[in-house]
Amino acid sequence: MRTPTPDVLIVGGGVIGFAVAYELARRKVKVQLLDKDLPGRATSASAGGLWPVGEAVGLGCGVIYQATQAAKRQAAGELENAEDCDDGILPAPFRDLLVASNALFPALAKEMLDTTGVDMEFRTGGGLLFAVYDEQEQAYVERVTRALPAGLHFERLTPEEACKFEPQLTRELVGAALLAGEHQVNPMLTAEAFKRAALLHGAQFRHDTYVTRLRREGDRITGVETEGGFLPAGIVINAAGAWSSQLAATAGLACPVFPVRGQIVLTHALPHALRACLSTSGCYIAQKLHGEVLIGSTTERVGFDVSVTPEGIANLCRGAVRALPLVRFVGIKRVWAGLRPGTEDELPILGPAPGIEGYVNATGAFRTGIVAAPMTARLVAQCVVGEEPEMPLAPFLVERFAKRELASTAG
Amino acid sequence: MIPRRVVIVGAGPAGMSAALVLAEAGLRPTVLDENPRPGGQIFRQPPEGSAAAQAPPKDATAQHGAELVKRFAAAGARIELMNLTSVWAIFPERRLAIGHREGWQVVAPEQLVLATGAYEYTPPFPGWTLPGVMTPGGAQSLVKTWSVRPGKSAVVAGSGPFLLIVAAQLAAAGVDVRAVVELARQSEFLRQTPRLLSSPGLLFEGAGMLRKLRDAGIPMLWGHVVCAAQGENGALRSVSVAPCNQDGEPERTRARTIEVDTLAIGYGFVPRIELAQLAGCELEFRDDLGGWIPKTNSEGESSVPKVWVVGDGGGVSGSVVAELEGELAGLAIAERLGCLDSATVARRKHPLLARLAKLRRFRLALDTVYRIRPGIARLAAKDTLVCRCEELTCEEADKAVGFGGNDFRTLKVMSRLGMGPCQGRMCWPAMMRRIADRTGHSMEHIGPSRFRPPVRPTTVGDLLQLIPFEDHPEPAGASARGAR
Repeated sequence: MRTPTPDVLIVGGGVIGFAVAYELARRKVKVQLLDKDLPGRATSASAGGLWPVGEAVGLGCGVIYQATQAAKRQAAGELENAEDCDDGILPAPFRDLLVASNALFPALAKEMLDTTGVDMEFRTGGGLLFAVYDEQEQAYVERVTRALPAGLHFERLTPEEACKFEPQLTRELVGAALLAGEHQVNPMLTAEAFKRAALLHGAQFRHDTYVTRLRREGDRITGVETEGGFLPAGIVINAAGAWSSQLAATAGLACPVFPVRGQIVLTHALPHALRACLSTSGCYIAQKLHGEVLIGSTTERVGFDVSVTPEGIANLCRGAVRALPLVRFVGIKRVWAGLRPGTEDELPILGPAPGIEGYVNATGAFRTGIVAAPMTARLVAQCVVGEEPEMPLAPFLVERFAKRELASTAG
Repeated sequence: MIPRRVVIVGAGPAGMSAALVLAEAGLRPTVLDENPRPGGQIFRQPPEGSAAAQAPPKDATAQHGAELVKRFAAAGARIELMNLTSVWAIFPERRLAIGHREGWQVVAPEQLVLATGAYEYTPPFPGWTLPGVMTPGGAQSLVKTWSVRPGKSAVVAGSGPFLLIVAAQLAAAGVDVRAVVELARQSEFLRQTPRLLSSPGLLFEGAGMLRKLRDAGIPMLWGHVVCAAQGENGALRSVSVAPCNQDGEPERTRARTIEVDTLAIGYGFVPRIELAQLAGCELEFRDDLGGWIPKTNSEGESSVPKVWVVGDGGGVSGSVVAELEGELAGLAIAERLGCLDSATVARRKHPLLARLAKLRRFRLALDTVYRIRPGIARLAAKDTLVCRCEELTCEEADKAVGFGGNDFRTLKVMSRLGMGPCQGRMCWPAMMRRIADRTGHSMEHIGPSRFRPPVRPTTVGDLLQLIPFEDHPEPAGASARGAR
């Protein structure tokens, strides 16, 4: 039996866990968040780009991910050549989720600043500019342009226009495409703001608490086992990011999330040199509020290894110098890596799981956790308290994987 | 990727002595060092052909250092020295990213010895960012290496025997040293005499330095601190010096002003642990050894097998201890790699361990006298910069601490302290003590700063130049040995 205000435990202290805690706490749900600081948290290795349309059509690290996947499949003989690869354009419901979530940021940033004193550093800029290096990429831009519905504008620029818009951009390109409404935040401060807002609304946090397993009694999750003992709960929310699959497995549940390592390079602060965030097939580049230039990001399936690699960072630097020659002379402040919670279809896993009570997924945000957090949290909270979700959850339910498996077996 | 058997990072006393043991054992170690010539900070050699290079070593320590450097050079091709080379990252499996003018490369040794030394500790106080305020080591380097006087008149302040050396060197260079301001109290010093007598040679050396100051007419102010520095036209004009209590808390009403254009100020040293941390070594907090240090066994091996930490980088204990530690680690590694038999190693280890044990008694006394006192963490005023990289004031940092920024990562997110190029090297040793003082949290709770590569200056463009080090035919140290 689900009580109207169940006690909720959230496992995982990343931006998604914090946002869900906030949305639940302000709905007067008694909520506690359990967190263990494991190396490789995706929130702390995020670029903080709010690129809802860009991400949905595969820009940002999507381009890099597609290239990696295509190369792999080509090597495995699955593809004749890389061009035959699907173009990375993700299903419309995912795009709608990101767009709706992104639209919440301006009001959210203001509310957070007023109530918590934390500035999420939400700033509007020149948008997201995709630098097109060759004909193949040009063809991709054309496909994306055709695929976008009315109202979402993908502006095509000639090389001259691109360089006028972004003077530091390389001259070695065949064109560019601009998504004007795409912005950025500081991911760590965004997470911090959610956390503090949740605390203000009465949420409780237990840091340094490692959840060893979910406790399952029949078809119900009744709480979690931690190093410090058992904690009962009406509902347990799996917001464990890259570790979600392992957590679900402790109760025999499937939650097919895998870690996708992203290495990033951050330079020393520069005077304002970029209007837009840049996306290229080699890397993406965003100049942050305080002037540092963030260069991201590798997409590697190497398990839970969070080390940076010489090849990884050298490739990013090569990509950055190609797109923005001036960074050649800029000092590197630091490089590090995080583990994105990846899924095979690149969509998040949200909502209840079939055949089990007292368990809700809030994971699989892959490379869009920051932009998706506000709406993800709302949908999950609505699902927990039994409200009608304001957007359809169906495309994001975990059972889609089981269905797909069935379909492929039948086929 | 370049394979090597043993790589030693740092050619100071610890690194050189480790290298010498290994070279004698026939292992041809590789020594990486940032400086043009070996010697480290303490035995830094002046530029070749300079006036300072002609002068004979002045004291016993310098003499000993010169001999060590000479022995190191005499090892010739039995040691591969790569100078002007920095290590800016450690990747898993002891793969070092090394950089120098031509580009970068990955070197992967079987055994890695970190002999990275220490840097000076100067907690913030009002006026500490004025031109003319520097560390004692900075002032020393100016007069000793470059034959440049930092100013006409100076106060040397802080804590530790190093102040005495620097004051004498400044005076000898013609600087009017108006006072040595020492946090420690003379009465405590006298109380430790029995323990200090365990190493009469060192005690005698210290007494000699004090006598030298007295002869030069330089007042020694025990139990005093510099609580502020005042500037005029953007340069240092005077410093305020006040007596302090046991906790290092100054009695500001009794402060006096000393007019000087130079203030050399440092409260001892902080181990350089960046590389050890990147290598994954477990750390522990040891206030007596300078702060956060890698845990090691008696031979210097860290919690990560095949990674050794010796010298001040593993806990500040001075050059004599550093040399012994280097030798011990060298012996252990030579044995591990089958180049020395265990009987020989045991025989050679014994006297080294005995000397270290004896020196430890002396160290213990010095550490008690020259301990960092909490009052030093309270010197900064509201508008004093505590993070110079990000120009963060003490008030802003305190506010973020009050807001829950009680560890490095949270404070960095909340306030940007430690976000700059120094990654917290300068601000965190003082800030962590300030947090402990204000919140009562233990140092284990507050934790060390978190270093990320690159830990030495590296540009985006540097990473585009992978250099073929396999063909690096002659170790760059050839010039230092005059062998080419």
